[in-house]
Amino acid sequence: MARYLGAIKTVTLLAFLGFTFLPLVQMTLISFVATLPTTSVEVGSFTLHNYAGIWSDPALRSAFVNSIAYVLINICITVPVAIPAAYAFSRMSFAGDTHLFLAFIAFRITPPVVLTLPIFQLFSALGIVNSVFGIALAHCLFNLPVSIWVLQGFISAIPKEMDETAFLDGYSRPRFIWGILLPQIAPGIAVTAFFCFMFSWVEVVFARILTTTNGKPISMALNALFGFQTDIGLVMAVTVASMLPGAVLLFAMRNHLSRGFRIGG
Amino acid sequence: MKTQDRSGWVFVAPAMVIMGLVGLVPLLTVVNYSFFEIFILESRFWVGLEWYTEIIRAPRFWSSFGRSTLFSALILLIQIPLGIAIALCIPHGKFWVGITLALVALPLLVPWNMIPSLWLSLLNPETGILGRILPNLGWPDDWKLSAPHTWAVIVAMDVWHWTSLVVILCYSALTTIPAAYYQAAAIDGASPWQVFRHIQLPRLLNVLLMAILLRFMDSFMIYTEAFPINAGGPDGATLFLAVDLGEEIKAFNYGPSAARSVIYFLIIVSVAWLFSKAQGKLDRAGAT
Repeated sequence: MARYLGAIKTVTLLAFLGFTFLPLVQMTLISFVATLPTTSVEVGSFTLHNYAGIWSDPALRSAFVNSIAYVLINICITVPVAIPAAYAFSRMSFAGDTHLFLAFIAFRITPPVVLTLPIFQLFSALGIVNSVFGIALAHCLFNLPVSIWVLQGFISAIPKEMDETAFLDGYSRPRFIWGILLPQIAPGIAVTAFFCFMFSWVEVVFARILTTTNGKPISMALNALFGFQTDIGLVMAVTVASMLPGAVLLFAMRNHLSRGFRIGG
Repeated sequence: MKTQDRSGWVFVAPAMVIMGLVGLVPLLTVVNYSFFEIFILESRFWVGLEWYTEIIRAPRFWSSFGRSTLFSALILLIQIPLGIAIALCIPHGKFWVGITLALVALPLLVPWNMIPSLWLSLLNPETGILGRILPNLGWPDDWKLSAPHTWAVIVAMDVWHWTSLVVILCYSALTTIPAAYYQAAAIDGASPWQVFRHIQLPRLLNVLLMAILLRFMDSFMIYTEAFPINAGGPDGATLFLAVDLGEEIKAFNYGPSAARSVIYFLIIVSVAWLFSKAQGKLDRAGAT
């Protein structure tokens, strides 16, 4: 049994990867097929027409710009706020710290649909509906807790002696965080930003209620493509295109992905 | 040991401000609304617990509650063992680890509203890969009329979408095991099962608890993905808990939808509390 373990592992992994790829292969195949009659290509034949269609549709072009914009804004809010909090959870003990961490996690597991109504009203009052800024802020609800969790995992992996040596050398806490800690956890910050990107890019509940007229991200532009006669080839091409930035980042992050989720040192 | 330091509050203050704005204030608003009959926001009547009793007494609530519980149970029973198994199967060596994790994580990048479309096109009897193979294996053409088949599709879809998160979390925990432990096990002639049971599993427990919590809540409140597969059918067999809430929000029933939200949040808090108890127990067991 133990002798064949390596082979069993490889086969299991390959089977799982096959399962993972099945819908993705299907999606990619359809994205290269003409699914609605046009002047140039016959229905059912191979075409690049769908991908060209993304570029020629101004609504789709602006959807890509909107998605990139709100994700970047979200990262710029989440990461700087999460770093000091993660540092505190990792290194300091203060009254109520574990409860506070749990409270953050409780908001991560709160489904967005539970809070859609008041968030819509609150953001209307603040004048940030139908803008990328509104989505970026709303997505902090789940991205901030996850970021704090991942970052505190990376910070906890750094020996505590480093803090103490720096303080003996006369570093203040903020100067230590900025000058010594941040360079050490740079991969952690990259992974955190990547997770913010990943969870924010694909989210639809907040994206839907906060963009009724303007600022629609890719997911909502995709919804708008469904109608009486849906060009499913174009829909799949847009989906493939929407995954490309994430796939590139995922590949760049691959060696750091698994390092952040430590709990309790 | 962590140092006792009350200035920790200063460091978490910015995070608390943001969570207050997008989490706590909306939540309190929902709690407030849930006690009123609201036609327009300016005119409302106090109704007390009326919405709550109405929801709790409705058989529809309990049947969707039951369905969501069953769904979450199935999801956990499949995804947690599968996630651990795949994490254990990841080959050694930095190169293969990175490639494998990146490939496994690809489903997480698909926009959530497209996931049902992906699976429906996969099952399309004319153009889908599975849709052309499965009928030869006894899969009925009219699977949408059958509750078990619809369930199978939704469960497979969720397993496809989220198992990778469990894999990443588990693999993350496995990397914290020092190589010396494995060497000691090899010297003692431990079997793979013994290595798993006594070295790998104890390291996994804390992260597994978190993975179970995340997967339980997200599947319990599944909203965007499940409905489009078969519109909650056949005959309401796949109407899950969050669907009712979505309908009430679309109909602008502020009061009842707020009450429903509060009930869901109370479920979430009780589950999170149970998990924190379990984690406390684990920590104490680990300390002794």
